[in-house]
Amino acid sequence: MERGSWRKWVASAAVVGMLALTACGGGGNTSSSGGDDKASAASSETKTDFPKKSVNLIVPYAAGGGTDATARALAKEAEKHLGQSIAVVNKTGGGGAVGFTEGATAKPDGYTVTMVTVELTTLHHLNLTPVTYKEFKPIAQINFDPATITVRADSPWKTAQEFIDYAKAHPGEVKVGNSGPGSIWHLSAAALEKDAGLKFNHVPFDGAAPAVTALLGGHIDAVPVSPAEVKAQVDAGKLRTLAIVDDKPSDALPGVKTLEEETGIKTTYLGPWRGVVVPKDTPDDVVQVLTDAFMKAADEPAFKEYMNNNGLGIVIKDGAGFEKLMEEADQSFGELIPALGLVK
Amino acid sequence: MLLQAFFDVFQFNVIGILILGVISGIAIGSLPGLTATMGVALLLPLTFGMSAVTGVLLLIGIYFGAIYGGSISAILINTPGTPSAAATTMDGYPLAQQGHAKKALMVSTISSGVGGTISVFFLIFFAPILADWALEFSAAESFALAIFGLSIITSIAGESMVKGLITGVAGLLIATMGLDPVSGFPRFTFGEVNLMNGLNFIPVMIGLFAASEAFKSMESINFQDKVKVTLNKAGLKWPEFKRIIPTILRSTGLGTFIGMIPAAGGDVASFVSYNEAKRFSKKPEEFGKGALEGISAPEAANNATTGGAMIPLLTLGIPGDAVTAVLLGAFLVQGLQPGPLLFQNHGEVVYALFIGMILANLLIIICGLSGIRLFVKVLDVPKKYLTPTILVLCVIGSYALNNNFFDVWVMMISGIVGYFMQRYGFPASPVILALILGPMAESNLRRALVMSEGSYSIFFTRPIACTLIILAILTLFTPLFRYLWNNHKKRKANSEAI
Repeated sequence: MERGSWRKWVASAAVVGMLALTACGGGGNTSSSGGDDKASAASSETKTDFPKKSVNLIVPYAAGGGTDATARALAKEAEKHLGQSIAVVNKTGGGGAVGFTEGATAKPDGYTVTMVTVELTTLHHLNLTPVTYKEFKPIAQINFDPATITVRADSPWKTAQEFIDYAKAHPGEVKVGNSGPGSIWHLSAAALEKDAGLKFNHVPFDGAAPAVTALLGGHIDAVPVSPAEVKAQVDAGKLRTLAIVDDKPSDALPGVKTLEEETGIKTTYLGPWRGVVVPKDTPDDVVQVLTDAFMKAADEPAFKEYMNNNGLGIVIKDGAGFEKLMEEADQSFGELIPALGLVK
Repeated sequence: MLLQAFFDVFQFNVIGILILGVISGIAIGSLPGLTATMGVALLLPLTFGMSAVTGVLLLIGIYFGAIYGGSISAILINTPGTPSAAATTMDGYPLAQQGHAKKALMVSTISSGVGGTISVFFLIFFAPILADWALEFSAAESFALAIFGLSIITSIAGESMVKGLITGVAGLLIATMGLDPVSGFPRFTFGEVNLMNGLNFIPVMIGLFAASEAFKSMESINFQDKVKVTLNKAGLKWPEFKRIIPTILRSTGLGTFIGMIPAAGGDVASFVSYNEAKRFSKKPEEFGKGALEGISAPEAANNATTGGAMIPLLTLGIPGDAVTAVLLGAFLVQGLQPGPLLFQNHGEVVYALFIGMILANLLIIICGLSGIRLFVKVLDVPKKYLTPTILVLCVIGSYALNNNFFDVWVMMISGIVGYFMQRYGFPASPVILALILGPMAESNLRRALVMSEGSYSIFFTRPIACTLIILAILTLFTPLFRYLWNNHKKRKANSEAI
């Protein structure tokens, strides 16, 4: 009897202890990620000994998604050039904001690298997070996907000009699907609206795939999504891409001209991009090591093959080039988002 | 070509990988928090080095296995391993409590395997027709389906309709948290980034079912377990199986159908099938107390959604849910683009996958039935060990979802709320149903109205939408009609007696 009750007491204590640990874990998590450890990072790193241990790559989106898969493919190649393993850590939530925050507030020693996306330059304009691109130091850009104008194969619009003309004559009638309010495809369509003097009926979906599905079903009239997201349907003859909204055609959809070639309309080329960054106080020599490794990784045949198989656009830029892209994107979105009435 | 496909599949390593996939899928599915999507996503990089057929079949094995695996923990410890198994707890757990765990698991295993297999045949023979039909499903139809799903609250409310409706409405209110689906305005987020996309319903589910159950068993952890449930060795008998065959077939049809339409998956299908099984049952009063149909309906349906979900993926290249989105990635990595051209250009791969999918479902039956003896051992574990283990799993499962500690807090708080709900007789299932369907109903209502430029006629002029809304109204008021009818009969009987 006595022995039995003693054992049960221990079991209950273990449960209580576990709960307490859980609680502490939560507290510890927030405090460590909020910690700012500039001094130690600046002094402890010298030019030669980085990296001494494995590097974490934060991915702000769920495992299995496009950004995650790209990050894993890139990390696999970058490991060879870095001489250390790279662990991909998915930190999801807040449409990317949770991962961005985690990456920005990580110890600036180069051991926490973050895969950032175009949302880094949109979310703060939408007042959804305080984090901006200025809190990071860019390592390398690896991808950019342009917008398209894609319609059903049996739609009356055979050229981009016909589409634009119809939309101009019927303001607010053309239903353009996007991947969510304030999402990149919503903003791309809005930029086209502004620059071509059109008015669309924006229909928000929960991601690009449902929007393409709705277009296939004939429930909407057009989608602005990337070549990769419509390629299968275009190849199968179910959808037709009228134009690529970029300064050059896309490898994924050969034969489709750019919007400017088709119609002469100049617009801001907004589309999703991906790149690798570190917290802004990371020492320059560490940044250099990482830049070398990731730039070389992005140039590896295996990585290029992965990108091509997925129809993703390869655009590789070093830190300075990536910085410029983020700056320009941030500025465009800063004008576009308030004009759309999306700011709270 | 078919012969070639047989040779491709019936190879030692392919079969081995498939068995590995199904078994690990079952394990992943039975652990709360580890969902089918996560299992497939985590093993995706492993497939990069494999051949197309082997790699994709590994992931398919995990997917199918995980959807089945969720029922094991749902039945044994009242903890749905995946959202798809939430409906299975309603009759599975009572059966296990009555000592019929073995029978309950047999029903779930056979229903899952049969449902899955039939859905693959739907995929093989009707995929192109069904895919075109699935495209008819737009925002208005999805809204109507969600409303139909919500009307099911009346049949899963349990003992008290009022309490069921209260928890259902509470769930709907919680579901409004997060970004507005049309304007993007953050609602009830209190400036918290983690709430931007609303409350993730999986930690809520783990809390309401698993953690609350663990908290409850802590009350009695210090007492000797005198009244232990004695395991009834009797398995499923032939007459019993014969009785559930119609339920399995009906649920398989519903599951395949719901699986192939965009944005609705096993979770919706299992609740809808449960409701239909109850509607068609001669003894609806047995539901919730341990009806075999109450297990076979959700389990046949959620495994049938797997074949259904593959229909738009393979024929159109469109992923209908998170799992198939990851599977799409697996195809692309292999240089295969799902869509109409896949059948033309890589017919042998498609046939090999079909054969593999049927095998995966048979393996579920084989692994499941032979594993039952092992699974039921969980019931022999004394509470003082089982309870802390379940709580640890709750924490790990909620954290593993997004590697985000916020979800663990959500799980903990839901667990405490769930404990008091259980104590005062408020059912948890309506909350989960509302959390799954609330956002679906809202975003599709708003989307449909954007498409129709504000006209509500879109819900009544489209035949599928209109039918579903009528069904929803019927379902919602059936209990009321039945009550009035019974009263009427009683009064008539009384007056005749007088």
